[in-house]
Amino acid sequence: MTSTSKVEHFQPELGEQTTPTQDKDQVHRVLLGKKQILVTEDEPLLIQLERAGIHVEYQCREGYCSSCSIKLLWGQVSYPFEPLAWVQSGYLLACCAIVKSDIEIAFFD
Amino acid sequence: MSYSTFNRKHFDSMKEPMFFGENVNVARYDQQKHPIFEKLIEKQLSFFWRPEEVDLSTDRKDFQRLEEHEQHIFLSNLKYQTLLDSVQGRSPNVALLPIVSLPELETWIETWSFSETIHSRSYTHIIRNIVNDPTKIFDDIVNNEEITKRADSVSKYYDRLIEMVNLYNTMGLGTFHVPGKGDVEISMHALKKALYLTVASVNVLEAIRFYVSFACSFAFAERTLMEGNAKIIKLIARDEALHLTGTQHMLNLMASGKDDPEMAIIAAECKDEIRHIFIEAAEQEKEWASYLFKDGSMIGLNAQILGQYVEYISNVRMQAVGLDTHFETKHNPIPWINAWLVSDNVQVAPQEAEISSYLVGQIDNDLDESDFDDFDL
Ligand code: FES
Ligand SMILES: [Fe+2]
Ligand SMILES: [Fe+2]
Repeated sequence: MTSTSKVEHFQPELGEQTTPTQDKDQVHRVLLGKKQILVTEDEPLLIQLERAGIHVEYQCREGYCSSCSIKLLWGQVSYPFEPLAWVQSGYLLACCAIVKSDIEIAFFD
Repeated sequence: MSYSTFNRKHFDSMKEPMFFGENVNVARYDQQKHPIFEKLIEKQLSFFWRPEEVDLSTDRKDFQRLEEHEQHIFLSNLKYQTLLDSVQGRSPNVALLPIVSLPELETWIETWSFSETIHSRSYTHIIRNIVNDPTKIFDDIVNNEEITKRADSVSKYYDRLIEMVNLYNTMGLGTFHVPGKGDVEISMHALKKALYLTVASVNVLEAIRFYVSFACSFAFAERTLMEGNAKIIKLIARDEALHLTGTQHMLNLMASGKDDPEMAIIAAECKDEIRHIFIEAAEQEKEWASYLFKDGSMIGLNAQILGQYVEYISNVRMQAVGLDTHFETKHNPIPWINAWLVSDNVQVAPQEAEISSYLVGQIDNDLDESDFDDFDL
């Protein structure tokens, strides 16, 4: 269940390139506008953003409705299970994506 | 080419497009061109529920205590949802089965449409429980102008596709004179365009049109009113979230050209028209919100907030099919709704409970712990 079924990889345009690691305790930075949130690989992004007080749209929280789709500007995420929802290129599904490197995300412009 | 219920041709179904290729012959799932559709089938089957399992006994009392303008909101939404599911319980089958070319997609369409019939039956379950004469409510669906306006918008793309496919199946390609309609051109391009627009309008139906009604149902339940109804709406919303993913996959596969290169050209040509379908539906839903609240708002919701929610959810849905967002509202004005829409902890009464649904008043939903003191559990 920890196998990586899909990895989205975008080259960082800003900042340093980071090397993804399998280390579970690894902490990554999530950049969102001017905010920076630290996340681990233990849980999907959505719940960690919520804990940081950031409202993210959701519905199913199981990868089948696409409501939690967020722009992934750069960085890597993976999905322990292939989501049923279509993942647009350049987007991630927050409810089931595991962050695998420092990433930058954005909501609607 | 006329439709065949068991196509005798030899062909490789893995090379067929989703639609307008060969009619499906063997319903086989050992090899699949788009396995996502079988995954949707499995998920939908795991969601199976029956309206009668949901206890509505306290809803009747709640309904009688609602103010008149709140009853109007509640009943109008039920009527609108009844219309939408009446359409969805048949139209994917009637419009799409004659032209589908992949077994896994054919079965998804049937599974999808079947689940809509559960929704329709649940409205009868709800209505029978709260009013003495359901006929008045059902009859109004075909009389009430606010509803019939919407019936036109949700059925016109389906109806056009069905008409064109009928002509294609009987006459083949060409231009045909249809009494009352004039000359209708049937080309592969015209057929595929009609299909693409239909799938977009169905996506809008399931991904946007239901949500005003969902919001009202959950706003009542936030006040601990009509909670049985809210339980049913949660189950419906869970199904609809899966259905909208189905049409998003169809639209995105079509636009990608990976399934049928000609569809990618059509998708590009139709981009403005599709945007228009989303925006027009959103405007109609905002109007619907004003109609609902014409005699008064309800706690936590008014026409303006609901209008913003429609704009917000429309942006989310447009983005999901690769369209630029259109509306200014970038934040969900009613974030509490997501806790209701989330599918976990959807519980229906245990099957053993044998709730005899329409015997109103016989089931006591108000028992508290102490009522069970004498029971050995
Ligand atoms: S909340 Fe449904 S896909 Fe993430
Ligand atoms: Fe439905
Ligand atoms: Fe549906």
